[in-house]
Amino acid sequence: MNETTSLSKTRIQYDDGVVRGFVFWSIAWGLIGMLVGVLAALQLSSAYFNFDLPWLTFSRIRPLHTNAVIFALVGNMMFAGVYYSTQRLLKTRMASDLLSKIHLWGWQLIIVGAAITLPLGITQSKEYAELEWFLDIPVALVWVVFAWNFFWTIKRRNERNLYVAIWFYISTIITIAVLYIVNNLALPVTGTKSYGIFAGAQDALTQWWYGHNAVAFFLTTPILGIMYYFLPKAAGRPVYSYRLSIIHFWALVFIYIWAGPHHLLYTALPDWAQSLGMLFSLMLWAPSWGGMLNGLLTLRGAWHKVRTDPVLKFFVAGVTFYGMATFEGPLLSIKSVNALGHYTDWIIGHVHSGALGWNGFMAAGMFYWMVPRLFGTQLWSRTLADWHFWIGTFGILLYVVAMWVSGISQGLLWAEMEDGGLKYTNAAWAEMLEKSRIMYMMRTVGGALFVVGWVMMVVNLWKTMRSGNKVDGEADVVVMKPEPAAASTGKLVFGTPFVMTVLGLLIAYMFAGGGLWGGVMGFVLLVGFCVAVAVQVKRAAESKFRWHDVIERRPLAFTVLVVLAVVAGGVVELVPGIVLQKNVPLTTSGAYAVAPYTPLELEGRDIYVSEGCYVCHSQMIRPFREEKMRYGDPSRIEESMWDHPFQWGSKRTGPDLAREGLSGNNASWHYLHMIDPRSVRPKSNMPSYHWLADEDVYVDGTPDKIKAMKALGVPYDKARIAGAIVEYREQAAKIVADLAVDGHEIESDRKLVALIAYLMRLGKNELGAQVVDRR
Amino acid sequence: MTDPSITNVDVEREHSFDGITEFDNHLPNWWLWSFYLACIFSVFYWGAYHITGFAALPTEVYEADQAALAAQSTDADDETLRALLADPNYIASGKKIFDINCASCHRNDGGGMPGLGPNLTDKFWLHGGEPASIYTTVTKGVIEKGMVAWESQLGASKCRKATVYVMSLRNKNVANGREAQGEPYAGQ
Repeated sequence: MNETTSLSKTRIQYDDGVVRGFVFWSIAWGLIGMLVGVLAALQLSSAYFNFDLPWLTFSRIRPLHTNAVIFALVGNMMFAGVYYSTQRLLKTRMASDLLSKIHLWGWQLIIVGAAITLPLGITQSKEYAELEWFLDIPVALVWVVFAWNFFWTIKRRNERNLYVAIWFYISTIITIAVLYIVNNLALPVTGTKSYGIFAGAQDALTQWWYGHNAVAFFLTTPILGIMYYFLPKAAGRPVYSYRLSIIHFWALVFIYIWAGPHHLLYTALPDWAQSLGMLFSLMLWAPSWGGMLNGLLTLRGAWHKVRTDPVLKFFVAGVTFYGMATFEGPLLSIKSVNALGHYTDWIIGHVHSGALGWNGFMAAGMFYWMVPRLFGTQLWSRTLADWHFWIGTFGILLYVVAMWVSGISQGLLWAEMEDGGLKYTNAAWAEMLEKSRIMYMMRTVGGALFVVGWVMMVVNLWKTMRSGNKVDGEADVVVMKPEPAAASTGKLVFGTPFVMTVLGLLIAYMFAGGGLWGGVMGFVLLVGFCVAVAVQVKRAAESKFRWHDVIERRPLAFTVLVVLAVVAGGVVELVPGIVLQKNVPLTTSGAYAVAPYTPLELEGRDIYVSEGCYVCHSQMIRPFREEKMRYGDPSRIEESMWDHPFQWGSKRTGPDLAREGLSGNNASWHYLHMIDPRSVRPKSNMPSYHWLADEDVYVDGTPDKIKAMKALGVPYDKARIAGAIVEYREQAAKIVADLAVDGHEIESDRKLVALIAYLMRLGKNELGAQVVDRR
Repeated sequence: MTDPSITNVDVEREHSFDGITEFDNHLPNWWLWSFYLACIFSVFYWGAYHITGFAALPTEVYEADQAALAAQSTDADDETLRALLADPNYIASGKKIFDINCASCHRNDGGGMPGLGPNLTDKFWLHGGEPASIYTTVTKGVIEKGMVAWESQLGASKCRKATVYVMSLRNKNVANGREAQGEPYAGQ
């Protein structure tokens, strides 16, 4: 040790055991999750592939498939990449082996919990946030353990600056924590059931703020971080551009959050929020491509290696699919394109080009690079890895093309007119479905081929592991002296980028909210601001981002700036909804124009949620001529104001149900249709839900549910709670009597009775002339 | 592989992270401009839709379209419908509509299904057997009994075709038809 420079050299060993654990579980869960996907795909072309089992039925396993792929496959893969690269980029072992272990095993236990509860119909029905409250708490706790360990490691680092990969990891950890907690705020009713605190439009906005940014900060930013570490490593080339990293990182982190409402275009969501969603999605296109460019251009001078190295093949294809998906995303966010594509299979194709192409291939590339190193050996077979690559690529293309064809056809068929009427009415829905059936088969084959490739990887990596022994990486590091940080604080706060951002947000606020005059003023200022930013970007390009160099050395400041960038969009979009929540039309007597559900309807609604009906049926009629003809008047914001959670849906494999109660389908029709859909709709692909006619609602628990709803602000009074059971059975008896007339015998506590009551209530929100618009 | 906009190609930064180094190349101009243009477009879009009201929002477009649609409407009286009964092609096109939309409750041959649709092949009618009454039942439905109001989905013209086909089924008295319901109607 040299006293005069106070530098000490030391040899450290990285904790690669936890990395091996995450790799193993990512691959194993990934295989299971994708097989569930294939099973779900089979059920779309033939409803009998649920083998008549409730827990294998499409509406229950589709959430299992999405959660498994996102949180088990990509989650574990991300953690493997983060733990491997973070230690090496910070030149230190993870701060706590114990915390790493808690993270590893805690996460797997949560996945087991999801795999058990989702098929049982225990769900919150919010997409990718289906896990109920008793699993949400462990998710949050494990995430905190991860964050704690990660930031503690940063504090103990032996590398002055944070590399771009670490920036992306920081943004992931912070943002996912915020998103997950806010979106899952709920009031537990029983051990396995809760009602979310948000309702209707507000719940929809919160959910898609979460849903969209789960894609952003769970499936995208961490994988970009992984790309920035593993791609230059595998290519042996320097990263193309440091300043491109800076610009696209901050643009991505700031802009992504705003784009959530593009999932809700043409819904009852206020227009301003829809437009923000669309515009920020358009602005997001370039920052997304910034990541792709930096990845692909890093390969300059190494393209010959792509021909022979399977790792690079997967990375190149993965990054290219990322580029394709992030182009398609903004395209689908344009309102008029969305009018065609929303609720169709096009969206399914879009997410799979991201999930299979980007996430699946980046995962494969990383595993092929990492596993030989974690076991001190060579990859068992390059040829097999090449086969995996080509079969996987072919599978993805087959899948995506099938969904494009099917999706665009659906969008066109739904709107097709003939002789002044709809060419295909709802009774003829299955005629349209028939046209997608061949595409559904093609998609199943594509997905299955991807799984075949994955199995090849399993074999290849298994043989690789067997040919070597576990090795933990080691390195000589120079122990870092703490940085005298105070000197740079002023530079940080008064740095041009920070001042410009604050100023820009103020101007944008004026522009957006200040009426015509404010608009003109704001417009002039905004143009000036944009010019200034452009000049700044140009100048910064020459000054080598000294300001950024400062924050790279200061993780706390860096993290605070990430939080500000991320929170801005969320606050602007979510807060008005929360504040103005009940600002909806009232009757002249001052009562809410929409009555809450009866006890029976509420229980029916919970069954609708539990069975996962939202997976195939929307409840949101868009303001189009053809939707008015098919479903009735466009949905209004107040109609779902008591819906905890909202059931607007995102996919129409079957027709919209927002006004099902006005469709003319009576209790007998619903009874027959639920027990055997093909008895009334011969070509339907809907599963039979005959078990609902055998299972009972726990009616004694109904008052507690109403009490919980009341606590959340739904206008029930005490008498209603006390008389809930009587009211429930009275209404049920009427339906039972109606069914008996037509010869259908059923007991009144059966789940099917409640579900029929709910379905027949949908859309019956009597809004007479006495309604006063408070807006 | 050289972009003309790249002036300082491949200047390596001095720092290295676990062996990874970084160049500090210029941002490609086409990329920068695609970003700028998206931002500029957004400002104008916001101005046009949300500040000046120059462009119409989706609900405004929808309401204008509905108003235009309400202006065109067709009626079907007894005479017109009876006259159409003479046209086999017209009846055939009505049958197509019936098979897809009506048969699931009224059966393929119109004989009716218990608990769902009544028999259309006898002479008894629940909601009036006059051609115009049948037309009204088809278009406006009988919601409380489960009959769909077909006008919104099918449009007036297709409803007229279906009505004429139903008129053609009258008194065919198919085998195994549902029991008689409603009042008898003797005319065409």
